[in-house]
Amino acid sequence: MLKPKQMSRLLIAASRDQMVPVIAELYRRNLFHIEEFVDAGAEGYEGFKIGTPLPGASEKSADLIKIRAIANAISVRGDDIETAKHCSRAESRKRIEQELPVLEQEVENLTARRSKLDTQVKEYEQKIAEITPFVNVPADLDLYHGYKRFIVFAGFVSREVTLTVPSEMYFSKGKEKNFLVAIVPSEQRTEVEKALQEAAFQSVPLPDESGAPQGRIDYYAGQISALNQEIAEINQKLEGVRKSHADFLVACEEFLKAEVEQTEAPLRFATTKQTFVAEGWVPSENVATIIQALEKAAGGKIFVTELAVDYEHENVPVEYNNPSFATPTQVLMDVYSRPRYTEIDPTLMVSIVFPLFFGLILGDVGYGLILLAMAFGLRKFLKGEEGRQMLAVLRNASISSIFFGIIFSEFLGFPIPGWSPVLYSRHLMAAENGGHGPNIPELMVLSIWIGILHITLGRVLGMVNHARQDHGGHRIKAVLANFGWLTVMWGLIIAIWSVASVPLMPNLTGLPVIVAGLNLGIFTGAVLIVAGVVFIARDSFLEVVEIPTIVSHVLSYARLVAVGLSSVAIAMVVNFMSITMFITPQLKNLTIVGIFIIIAGIGVFIIGHALNTALGILGGGLHSIRLHYVEFFTKFYKGGGKKYVPFGMNRRFTED
Amino acid sequence: MAAEAVAVAATDLASVQASQLGMKALGAGIAVGLTGIGTGVAEMGIGSAAVGAVAEDKDMFGLALLFTVIPETIVIFGLVVALLLLFV
Repeated sequence: MLKPKQMSRLLIAASRDQMVPVIAELYRRNLFHIEEFVDAGAEGYEGFKIGTPLPGASEKSADLIKIRAIANAISVRGDDIETAKHCSRAESRKRIEQELPVLEQEVENLTARRSKLDTQVKEYEQKIAEITPFVNVPADLDLYHGYKRFIVFAGFVSREVTLTVPSEMYFSKGKEKNFLVAIVPSEQRTEVEKALQEAAFQSVPLPDESGAPQGRIDYYAGQISALNQEIAEINQKLEGVRKSHADFLVACEEFLKAEVEQTEAPLRFATTKQTFVAEGWVPSENVATIIQALEKAAGGKIFVTELAVDYEHENVPVEYNNPSFATPTQVLMDVYSRPRYTEIDPTLMVSIVFPLFFGLILGDVGYGLILLAMAFGLRKFLKGEEGRQMLAVLRNASISSIFFGIIFSEFLGFPIPGWSPVLYSRHLMAAENGGHGPNIPELMVLSIWIGILHITLGRVLGMVNHARQDHGGHRIKAVLANFGWLTVMWGLIIAIWSVASVPLMPNLTGLPVIVAGLNLGIFTGAVLIVAGVVFIARDSFLEVVEIPTIVSHVLSYARLVAVGLSSVAIAMVVNFMSITMFITPQLKNLTIVGIFIIIAGIGVFIIGHALNTALGILGGGLHSIRLHYVEFFTKFYKGGGKKYVPFGMNRRFTED
Repeated sequence: MAAEAVAVAATDLASVQASQLGMKALGAGIAVGLTGIGTGVAEMGIGSAAVGAVAEDKDMFGLALLFTVIPETIVIFGLVVALLLLFV
């Protein structure tokens, strides 16, 4: 919690003939993050070379490429397939040897045939496009070619043309363009070309066909539909292959991927002729088991030791260490940046505060239920790890939305009957209906309070981070600078409290006046501000320019109310339009036209609320996460940690 | 005579109040409208650059989205001002 998993650095050294069992064991454990060996003459690694892949690497890679090509051709993705029956290693290998060549041949034949048919369809479509302009000309297509002493012009012109030379011409007026065909003696070519040029002549190619134009078009259209039918048959066959072999393909892909990764692992090790050395990271809690397992796998002929680590300067891979309810939020953290090994991991705080912000913005039982249904319904379609985490975040957010919906007494913009809002109301139109109007000032101040507390928390975490990460004189300066930001903010707040009375905030206007009408509070605030500015300037003078951001960042939290109210307003407008304007007047005096108007009203209701739900996810989600990323994280969080990627895989379709 | 004067004063007061309400509504509208334009202008450049970045590298999506919504603060301030004008 609040800290990534503790990591230890392991060094593994053994003779080369132990390489295969050691790699297999490491892969099976899925815990060892390999620190890649770079052949740069590092201290202690003189004379070592990057290793070479284990035998069989290229064949396995080739097979893997084949499988991926087939899976791609028939669009099979591992994420779309439920974890099915597991096949064992021997079984997988046997099936790859026996079934893969046959399957590859089959899919290749089908896709090759399909692409051939596709090109043919394109060719015929091109021919139809060429013939189409000639449809209006009452002449067979044979008449356009085969002349020795005549030349044929065909193309589009902007206006009718009269030729002065002896010619056979046909002109057809079109909606946008006029089509012209002219057959003239070859000697008069230049004159005709000139005349046509004036009419903005655009020539079209002469189709190399015979017979009536419409007849040819019909012929080609018939050919195309026959080809399309054949393509559909091939697609059906491919679909059949997909259905019967999808499980096999994903299992093979996984199996071969594991094999290839293992055979290529030596490329990341340091080797000599006789030995190899691998360095990497393992969660500290697993060090003992890994050492034991490796010794067992290599029959004791191995040296494994834990290295001393300088956690400050080494780029330690980071693995989250959160309670299970906070793990989905890691996806939001990774969007920003993974925490560094030495800094505080705020995932837990985000996992609590993000749903609260979301609920404050979209506090509506109806929308909450819709989103909750979505979070569960979409699980069928999103099977990947990240997608699942996103849905879990959405689920938590929608539960919070329902909770705040009850507090605000809102259901799709209507007040919940017989239930008045707890604390504050957001019902914009309730005042006209005799209820309590919206408590905008109170809500606004409440959101500002949330901002003040959230930012204070951020700054305190910033102090902790700097105290942990920095050294010497800079450490004290950095901690004090963060403290300075806090005092400036609180100084400003105290000064404001002493000048004006704000609802829901302490009123310090009554403090004893010291001089010139300025009371004690104002002086305290001023002292805090000056002290804070001094602290900030000591760390970095340029930072002083940023002081106005204190105001803008705190006020930015007003969006919790503002965005929420805009969503309430849209919901209420939709309700007003659909029910008050469309449905109720018609219900009083039902006619046939009235029924259509009522249906239109229901349409407005559904479309309006669907739109508002989409806006709600966008508004609620984006604004809450933005408050974290921009207003909260900038106070303490740097990120940029390296992701912990253990050597191995979580097998879904195969067994080891 | 006096009754007439009171009636005229009352209608005057009513019209003044109504016009004040109208002015408030106008102010609220201008606040949201102008800040909306401001946000739009600011997001224009960021948005196009963000789309370019995402086209290069899909992992940028989260960060790109974040950058794009940063100027949203401006319109939020406008909305806050509008709400304060109308309801406080």
